[in-house]
Amino acid sequence: MFLNSVVLILQEILEAALLISILLVLSRQLQLSARWFATGMILGGIGAFILSVNLATISEWLDYAGQEILIAGIMIAVLGLLTLIGLYSTSALWASRHSLPYLMSICVALALSREGAEIVIYLGGILNHQESVQPTFTGAGIGAGIGLSAGVLLYFGLLSLPARWIFCTCILLLALIGGTMASQATLLLTQVDWVAYSPVLWDSSIWLPEDSIPGHLLYALVGYEATPSLFQAIAYGIGFLLVSISATLGYLNHFRSRRKNTGEK
Amino acid sequence: MSRSIGRFVMLLAFTLGIGSNTSFADTPIVELRIRNHLFFPDTLEVPAHTKIKLLVINEDPTPEEFESYELNREKVILGHRKTVIFIGPLPPGEYPFFGEFYPKTAQGKIVVSAQQPSE
Repeated sequence: MFLNSVVLILQEILEAALLISILLVLSRQLQLSARWFATGMILGGIGAFILSVNLATISEWLDYAGQEILIAGIMIAVLGLLTLIGLYSTSALWASRHSLPYLMSICVALALSREGAEIVIYLGGILNHQESVQPTFTGAGIGAGIGLSAGVLLYFGLLSLPARWIFCTCILLLALIGGTMASQATLLLTQVDWVAYSPVLWDSSIWLPEDSIPGHLLYALVGYEATPSLFQAIAYGIGFLLVSISATLGYLNHFRSRRKNTGEK
Repeated sequence: MSRSIGRFVMLLAFTLGIGSNTSFADTPIVELRIRNHLFFPDTLEVPAHTKIKLLVINEDPTPEEFESYELNREKVILGHRKTVIFIGPLPPGEYPFFGEFYPKTAQGKIVVSAQQPSE
């Protein structure tokens, strides 16, 4: 139970930790107060608890498709928030910068609710097995520790980049997470037959299995799948483009308004 | 700017909605039970190139997560609950699955046979 719980908790924590790290670096670059982080964590904790308590009922909605529809909805909402974050963080408007902390805290809250609910359900189930409680919770602590360390490593790794690359790298990583959200939502909707089956594009499970350590890491960072379907790949492309194009549009807007201002002087 | 975003959202919705919900009636239903952290049966035979509606019934009081890397499926099933997972259509081959919460014991596989089942 020990090793299983390390891996399971690590998987759940890693995805959220990487997203949070990127947002923290972005907010630091934009000189925003990081208070949104605490709000997001608290809301995410509450969200995870509410979701885990109600998941049994939600799962039975819509002819047993409720769980997938809700989680896919959360993922698409995260993609929408990342798109707005991309747009607003490059934009020059004070008002749009002002709304960034709110967007970031909702984004973190939604991501944590989704990942956290599974942890709560898993650990809650273990409480029925007295003999497994101690190894499982120890493993969970270690898994969480490794996941958080990866987040901290990414945070300082990003900050150690040359200053002019930090911002672009954050946007690129957010766009990759946006792609992952769209692709995973598509997969979930296929699982309940709301999205039609589409052929598998490639099979890289021999070279890079999803259950290997690099596989897990790449999954968390760029949404790696060994056997993605055609629709998943299309959704990934759309999600990636949404975030990256909105950031580019914001940047162009910023550049234009700055030029106008200097022209007036 | 917002118009172009709107267009992308519409495109996303269109892509996701494409051709979904083919008729449920002719989708074969296969039953899988979870008992004492084991899958019953642990080997499911299904026909090739056919979409299957997998009905997973968790008889344990504890939650379990049906997971398969080969099938690209992952779903939490709470204690004393049941759920539905659509799989396939699949080419012939073996597709292992496991219970992520109790992976030591909860192991199984789906065997996709080339022949059509004799019914």
